[in-house]
Amino acid sequence: MGKKVGIVAGSISRFDNPRHTLQEEMCAEAVKMILDDVPDLELGDFIKKGYACCYSYFSDILEQQQCMHWIINDYLGLSGVPSYRVESGGATPIDAIVNAALWIRSGMFPVVLVVGWEKMDELPIQKVNEAIAIAGDTDWDFVSGFTYNAFYATMEARRMHVYGETEEDLAEVSVLCHNNSLENPYAQWPAQHGFSKITVEDVYKSRLISWPYRLYECAMTSEGASALLLANEETTKKLTDNPVWISGVGFGSDTMRAGDRPDNPAWKGLYPEDENIWPKHVPKPMSPYPDLQNFGALRVSARMAYKDAGIKDPRKEISFVEIFDPYAGVVLAGLEDFDFCKRGEGKNMLREGIIQRHGELPCQLSGALTAQGHAVGSTSIAQVVDSYWQLSNQIGKKWGAPGRQLNNPKKAFIHGHGGTGCQAGAVVLEV
Amino acid sequence: MKQPGPEKVLKQLPHDEKCWEEWERKGGWRPEGWKIVEMNDGPTLNDLKPEKFLIVHRPHGSMFHHSYGKVSQFFIGLLEGKLYGTKCSKCGLVYCPPRAHCFNPKCRLVETKWVELPKRGEVHSYTIMAIAWPSMAHLQPLVGVMVRIEGTNTCLPMTMRDIDPEKVNIGLKVNINISKQPKGDLLDVYATPAEEPVAPKRSPEELKRFREDMEKTRAWVKKTFGPK
Repeated sequence: MGKKVGIVAGSISRFDNPRHTLQEEMCAEAVKMILDDVPDLELGDFIKKGYACCYSYFSDILEQQQCMHWIINDYLGLSGVPSYRVESGGATPIDAIVNAALWIRSGMFPVVLVVGWEKMDELPIQKVNEAIAIAGDTDWDFVSGFTYNAFYATMEARRMHVYGETEEDLAEVSVLCHNNSLENPYAQWPAQHGFSKITVEDVYKSRLISWPYRLYECAMTSEGASALLLANEETTKKLTDNPVWISGVGFGSDTMRAGDRPDNPAWKGLYPEDENIWPKHVPKPMSPYPDLQNFGALRVSARMAYKDAGIKDPRKEISFVEIFDPYAGVVLAGLEDFDFCKRGEGKNMLREGIIQRHGELPCQLSGALTAQGHAVGSTSIAQVVDSYWQLSNQIGKKWGAPGRQLNNPKKAFIHGHGGTGCQAGAVVLEV
Repeated sequence: MKQPGPEKVLKQLPHDEKCWEEWERKGGWRPEGWKIVEMNDGPTLNDLKPEKFLIVHRPHGSMFHHSYGKVSQFFIGLLEGKLYGTKCSKCGLVYCPPRAHCFNPKCRLVETKWVELPKRGEVHSYTIMAIAWPSMAHLQPLVGVMVRIEGTNTCLPMTMRDIDPEKVNIGLKVNINISKQPKGDLLDVYATPAEEPVAPKRSPEELKRFREDMEKTRAWVKKTFGPK
């Protein structure tokens, strides 16, 4: 059985808050777009042809429903079809894609439909925060009075202390993401705030959430759905003449609690070159990488995906990147953990314009979590769909914004993670 | 073979069962109200049309009866005003948060032993929460610190009192305090400075912005909860 997994089609039912539309209806909107794109696909053939479905949503609490995927599966008319749900916090949708790709590579299924969604507006915002925060350790993290905002803020405060990142760097990341989203008809930011560019000053004017993070530097809470139709090489070629391939997948993990990382014996000595990058003014912990500044799970998942895809030099070979950025600083950390630069140099890639839309390695073209939105179970699927449209030269049509098509991109890297980097997944796409 | 139970209650602070039963019954999913709204919707911003939605206000919730398992000693310690961690006698790692089994891969999940910890530590990292949990909103701006308790190989997240938020910094030595009326969770633990704090470097613009942020946060607290 071949290793190649093809993307036949992808779709998004836009992110917003509130949508008021039910989860199953948003999923149906997304799957309907896939059916429109692939006339030869018949939902009624799934059982006969041995196809499967992989569902992705994060929170039973936010959905007010256990086993929400049973409703989705039923609503789409897929009774009988082999399916299950993948759940791993923020990593849920990327892990669903990885899972589906591995199903196909196992030879078990020729075609897998991945559907992801989230509902996030039905509780008061503090309770939404709480529902998310209890993905942190409820005995030791959550009850300390910290939200995820606060945990990520402590991680960024350390990046500022150890690497010299600044508040301006964070604001610049936020500006980049928001302005990238303005032509994206699936994005929540323009749906709520209109279509004008923002500046660093606008970010500074947004309210402080948990220093150093301000409102515009934090992910939105969103509702929406997205879907991907994946297939083995043979079936992909039958169903589309414009395929994109998932040439590499990876996943990794780290401690439940960020506070357990600085001396974690499991990391010690794994990445000696990173352990050596350490300033004199800060006492060195037992396991200097990742500590709180970086994300070990991101490193493991990225290197696994690169190896799987045969990528030797990601900085040269990758055309553009979508980073899962619940907070602005994660973009800078990610660039380091994904080997696009050395540890501590993520800020330089930002300051030198490399990750801008017209830069050498564009990042967050969709607007990502702070601007496209963060409907958790759908987030990374939507980021992969946007990237698939870029690689298959469809973004002009799908966004109604021809100017946003990159010139001949070859490979994309998309990552997702959950918790404070407790779990991560990554895919490499190529044409 | 032996049967493990029944459980013997050694000591307890009973909760008001009647009150919570009432709350669970009230939060029983029946709508308490509703509204009909109209809003544009559709799968993309290029494809919107007006739709009508019925929204019901539907409550639910309940009391959980949670055991702290084999690390209960930490919380029993808090009730007695003491701070405990666990130590692996094989590799020597000291945990707080405690672990009943050592997670050093070399130690093959060996059981750890309880050790009493000094009530001193150092700030590994920090944040200033302008939005905290609703139950703590009146304390905003609230300093949150990841504290490495002396002699441990971990950081314990906690809030910090008696410090100007502007001054909190990585490396600050702190005292660990346990609430006089402990309830039996991590919020019973908080830090206070153990030395004169030295503020992190901030540019004049950053400092101005920081002070404005604190001012705004305090003004909101005053407006919402009244002066102390």
